[in-house]
Amino acid sequence: LSTTTQDAQGHFGRADADGGGDGRHMGHLDEGHTHGPTDSQYFTIFWVLFGITALEVTTYWWEDWFGQGGWKVAPDDTVRAFGMVLLLILMVIKFALIVGFFMHLRFDSALLRRTFSFGLALGLAVYLITLTSMNFWTYNGNPWFNDPSPPITTTTVVEGG
Amino acid sequence: LAEIALEPVEDVEFPDDAHATATGISNPKLAMWVYLASDCLLFGGLISTYLLYRNRPGEIPGLSGNPERISELFDVPFTSMTSFILLMSSLTMVLSVTSAMRDDIARMRLWLGTTALLGMLFLGGQIYEFTEFVHEGLGFTSNVSSSAFFTLTGFHGAHVAVGIIMLLTLIGLSFSRKVQAEAVETIGLYWHFVDIVWVVIFTVVYLIP
Repeated sequence: LSTTTQDAQGHFGRADADGGGDGRHMGHLDEGHTHGPTDSQYFTIFWVLFGITALEVTTYWWEDWFGQGGWKVAPDDTVRAFGMVLLLILMVIKFALIVGFFMHLRFDSALLRRTFSFGLALGLAVYLITLTSMNFWTYNGNPWFNDPSPPITTTTVVEGG
Repeated sequence: LAEIALEPVEDVEFPDDAHATATGISNPKLAMWVYLASDCLLFGGLISTYLLYRNRPGEIPGLSGNPERISELFDVPFTSMTSFILLMSSLTMVLSVTSAMRDDIARMRLWLGTTALLGMLFLGGQIYEFTEFVHEGLGFTSNVSSSAFFTLTGFHGAHVAVGIIMLLTLIGLSFSRKVQAEAVETIGLYWHFVDIVWVVIFTVVYLIP
């Protein structure tokens, strides 16, 4: 649903039928504007990412600090579970900040956003299904799950021996 | 950060966004995004494989007490340092892109060189880590967990190495011809992607117990 248009100066651009996409850029191209975060804003984003990473790293010691071996704030399992959830949330935030701002995806064409989102969503779906089908979310005590059975060895029992 | 996040998207554009293509986006840039989207599947597969096999039993000489978990060998403080280095390289990469857009070639070269140097430091750290693991008795074929681990982190390292080659090539080319800002931006996309893959690997492989 997109059409290529050409302005009076011979520059090309795209106008989406749904009103999104690149059509919005047409009016500004000849002015040579470059918007998006400034250098100082990139530094701000970097320091936010730095802080998040530092927080992530501290979770490595949380069980020692807050668990039963430390200040006894909560049971070890609870500390571990809380840390894991927090790590996943922080990972998503970092991912979004880098893709959105450093990679400019937030400011770029809708087509690029859709292209990357499609690959990401497809990857997530395929591998979440794979992990689920291979019993990843539950642990049945069998570390060899989904491997070929170990070879059967026979033992000869001597009768009356 | 909130100010940037709330900035209307309609006000933002880059000079290279309009091209004589059906999509209005330059072919190399679109191709890079398609490639990065496909790379999500590659790394998704490698990360899933590691997650499935990470607790498989196998004798590792350096781990007499708990031979099942290769994560016992991880040096998280050291890996955190290399993660910070890679994160810093993303900042220098984005600064090289803005320098290129301003036609400030000297600064662009400086930031590209810094990015390549930080990438080399990261790779050096990874090589050191691998060497330590091998000294502990954890080789590529020690068990299925170690194979999955080395394949995942090795593929990421190979991506970093390719990124460094591209950065150095760009610096070299800038001395003989005018480098388009879009070329720097496109290679920057690849570099940032390598960083976000590491964000996931660092969390899922190293930090989550």
